Amino acid sequence: MTGLEWIILLSKLLVIYLTIVHVVPIMIWVERKGAALIQDRPGPNRVGPFGLLQPVADALKFLVKEDPIPNSVNRVLYAMGPFMTLVPASLIVAVLPVGDFFEVQGKSYFMQIADINVGLLYLLSISSLGIYGILFGGWASNNKYSLMGAMRSASQIISYEIPLGLAAVGAVTVYGTFSLREMALGQEGTFLAVLPRWGVFMQPIGFLVFFISAFAETNRLPFDLPETEGELVAGFHTEYGSMKFATYFMAEYMNMATISGLMTTLYFGGWHLPYLTDATLLGWLGGQRNLLAVLQFLIFFFQSCCLPAHFRLGALDGAAFPL
Amino acid sequence: MKELFFIFFSLYTIAAALGVVLAKNPVYSAFSLILSFFGLSALYVMWGATFIGMIQILVYTGAIVVLFVFVVMLLDLGSVVTDHSHSWLTVMVSAIAVWFFSLLMLRTFNHTPLVAPATPLAESNTRLISQLLFTEYLWPFEILSIFLLALIIAIYALTRPDAADKRKVHP
Repeated sequence: MTGLEWIILLSKLLVIYLTIVHVVPIMIWVERKGAALIQDRPGPNRVGPFGLLQPVADALKFLVKEDPIPNSVNRVLYAMGPFMTLVPASLIVAVLPVGDFFEVQGKSYFMQIADINVGLLYLLSISSLGIYGILFGGWASNNKYSLMGAMRSASQIISYEIPLGLAAVGAVTVYGTFSLREMALGQEGTFLAVLPRWGVFMQPIGFLVFFISAFAETNRLPFDLPETEGELVAGFHTEYGSMKFATYFMAEYMNMATISGLMTTLYFGGWHLPYLTDATLLGWLGGQRNLLAVLQFLIFFFQSCCLPAHFRLGALDGAAFPL
Repeated sequence: MKELFFIFFSLYTIAAALGVVLAKNPVYSAFSLILSFFGLSALYVMWGATFIGMIQILVYTGAIVVLFVFVVMLLDLGSVVTDHSHSWLTVMVSAIAVWFFSLLMLRTFNHTPLVAPATPLAESNTRLISQLLFTEYLWPFEILSIFLLALIIAIYALTRPDAADKRKVHP
């Protein structure tokens, strides 16, 4: 690979990955302020205008606070737990297409860190590795309640991987490829000259199934059982202190961002704006558009984070199979 | 360059596999198993079998080892204390195992090149596998799926609680 190609690869890597990382503080603010507005209370309003500097305050707090390590934990796995969730959440970012392509010196480069031809399989496999951070973290905490929370969360995640995978397989069957870029390309144009040819219109049931499973995969309400504050103290991250807890937190939010990115790629046309078709210009704009779509989904998540009730434990996994 | 990758990944896989056997704590063994599956997957992808490489992570690492880990975590096994005495039976069996293994190694090194063939596949690996699976090998594929279904039913029948047990639990 020439020097130029290295530079382009590294810049793609930095831009796309750091964007997803920087979405985390934005999500923290949106969640807290949005939940507050829905619940008719002010939310964070001390730290900046509208509490906008609240994530900065949180980050500073996590950096400066003491990181306690209980005496009786299993040191190796306790320290590694948070990173075993963070690494898969970060690796998934590599296959999300954020735009079409851009041309440098006559050669076109995809707006995607790596266009693997088994991209969707890669994504499903890496996201199923996130379970280990939860399992090992919960077990290593040497705490019955952490272990129970970890088991509940892990069983929830693996149950809902099945509908997630099936919905994704539906998309694979329609577009005939595992590569995410080609799936996004297959959503160009219109259907019956009225609807854009997006997955959500072509496969509404698949979208519904995927949407529900995505909530379950990321432990968001209404699948909040591992973190139910009334039942277990804080689930699998009970014993985790400042920076390790922040890592789990960051990993969960990055997972949400990447699954919503996958949702846009499979069901919302990837980078395609609803009725426009021109290629290269759209490529430049489309990069922003995909990120907007990702943000759109995150707002979905937060809206629903406070409204529905929790599922009862037995009902949760029982609901997975009919789904 | 490719030889370098092969040496690195195969040494890594061997080290992780040794970790499975030699770790004192069973949870560490399960963790080493995960690491060794990553190494295996890397080797598969290096040899051009991208589909199998991804399915290795998805199925083995993502599902089977999760079951192992569940069981190991729920049974509080603690660390194993190894018994270092070797009877003559242990020595004999180890010698036979080493002999078989070296036969296998010699045969492999004489017949297999160290890296993937230089000619890339005509279509993607996934597409080729799926084409074969649904045309030439369709019968075995379908029969296997029915076989798996029969297995699931058998396991359920063997492990479900009997009606007699239910009567004892709720007097």
